[in-house]
Amino acid sequence: MADLQTAKIVGTPALEGTYIAEMDIWPLECPEFNRNYQFYDNLREGRFTTTRCKKCGHTAFPPGVICPRCWSEELEWVDLPQRAKVVTFTETQAGAPLGFPLPLIMAWLNFGKDSPIKHLLGRIINCAEGELKDDDEVRLVVFEVPSHPIEVKRETKVCDRVFYAFERVK
Amino acid sequence: MARKAVIVGGGVTKFGVREATIFDLFQEAAKACSDDIPALKPSDVDGLIVCTTMAGRHSSALNTAPLVAHRLGIKPTSICIRLDTLCAGSNSGIIVAKGLVESGIAEVIMVTGAEKVYMPQRWETNYTQLATNDHDWDSAMGLGVPPPFFAMIAKMHMKRYGTTKEQMAHVSVANYNYGSTNPKAHFHPKTLTMEEALSARLIAAPFGLYDCCPLSDGGSAVIISSAERARELSDRPLVYIRGTGQHATHSMSAGWPGETLAEWPHLKRAAEVAYKNARVSPRDIDVAQTHDCFTISEIIEVEELGFCKKGEGGAYVASGAINIDGERPTNTDGGLLSHGHPFGASGARQSLELCKQLQGRAINQVKGAKIALTHNLSGTCAQHTVVIYGTEPVK
Ligand SMILES: [Zn+2]
Repeated sequence: MADLQTAKIVGTPALEGTYIAEMDIWPLECPEFNRNYQFYDNLREGRFTTTRCKKCGHTAFPPGVICPRCWSEELEWVDLPQRAKVVTFTETQAGAPLGFPLPLIMAWLNFGKDSPIKHLLGRIINCAEGELKDDDEVRLVVFEVPSHPIEVKRETKVCDRVFYAFERVK
Repeated sequence: MARKAVIVGGGVTKFGVREATIFDLFQEAAKACSDDIPALKPSDVDGLIVCTTMAGRHSSALNTAPLVAHRLGIKPTSICIRLDTLCAGSNSGIIVAKGLVESGIAEVIMVTGAEKVYMPQRWETNYTQLATNDHDWDSAMGLGVPPPFFAMIAKMHMKRYGTTKEQMAHVSVANYNYGSTNPKAHFHPKTLTMEEALSARLIAAPFGLYDCCPLSDGGSAVIISSAERARELSDRPLVYIRGTGQHATHSMSAGWPGETLAEWPHLKRAAEVAYKNARVSPRDIDVAQTHDCFTISEIIEVEELGFCKKGEGGAYVASGAINIDGERPTNTDGGLLSHGHPFGASGARQSLELCKQLQGRAINQVKGAKIALTHNLSGTCAQHTVVIYGTEPVK
């Protein structure tokens, strides 16, 4: 019979101070990991952008490195509307994924008939429960989200990040 | 005559919060399958299609298929793959198996699905679901668990077509009562009344508790083979896979194909393809298994599948059409609402019920059923999968 060697550890020792991308709720945005880093650089400047195909004129969302209509690589960055109307919405008071504060409000947004993207699911922030109504106008909000480290040779570089949501136009 | 693929039989594990690893569930499913087809031996199976979404994360099993093959004592020679289309995993596997069997690449394929959804700490399940949507875009908006998204779909359908909570409750009452006769269902032997359904606690407006299927641990397995091999494995009537269709239009919300969330043209398209391949029309379907992850889903599905006119799904389910004595009994084993939903396992569970219906041995048997249809949607309604079975092959 083998002896039982005892240990009193709760949790995962390897996680001490470690970043694990597969546990991250935000994208990897930096040029080292993402060819569409320009989207986030533009966000930082308050611009909501995507890629448009110079060959066929198609505007895709999310942005990419080829055109999903004609597979051309000749793309340019264009601005999208920053205001939309709430078509319908939902408010979560319990059971939101870890990292999203409550109430978690998500809305189905309509960007209007002149917009290259018609609909988008958008999180609504700076809004109390019960405040949002169908047909409300919302606008883009950009905010910082947690940075992450990346290993560059023997150094650790810290990548700052931003993301976006929408808020009610009062 | 060209080779025809059939579904021979299969088995499912108890669905629910299971004290088991995912490999325990795959083994239980295979055992249940062997109980259903006593002549089947591991050495009869030359192909294995393993359908799971969560295994990579929740069970740290990325190259899952060889692991499952080992645990089941199967040594595949034609195909041994893992397949992931989330909620449609094993129905996708059945489409692949049909192609492999009919082309002569494989003879006897086991399509098995399982998920270990519940983890030692409850938050992890919701957190993992952020990776089942378009992570960098919709999930970063907070889209993880499905109820909020489908709640918006329901609000839209109510607004545009006048669908009511009472009509939605007809779906949960029908499916819970079917499931009350099925010991494998998560909520067996619970029955449900309209009163209970309508007074349940709110989950995400307009959904109450019984409008939403639960997540479940569970597994399922079915055997797809050539008609010739099926005759050697079982004396039961043959159930042919007549036609299939699968349609994906988008990964994230910006690509939603409908005029609003209440229209699902991508399901309509998948169904058109399946009907055409199966050479049947919606009115030929005697019994159906539609993806009732929420009550509103079944209402929209009966519309887009052509069982009633667009916008009349609420009236259709309330008319009793989905009940056992109705014109097209639907989700006769209890559906997702009563079973719960271990993603990769649901399609084979649905298909086994239709196999039993067409062999005349279902618990809630539809008299004289000859043509049957199963449907899954995947994730936040990004993809639709339709498979049509019949007691006769397509000539
Ligand atoms: Zn193009």
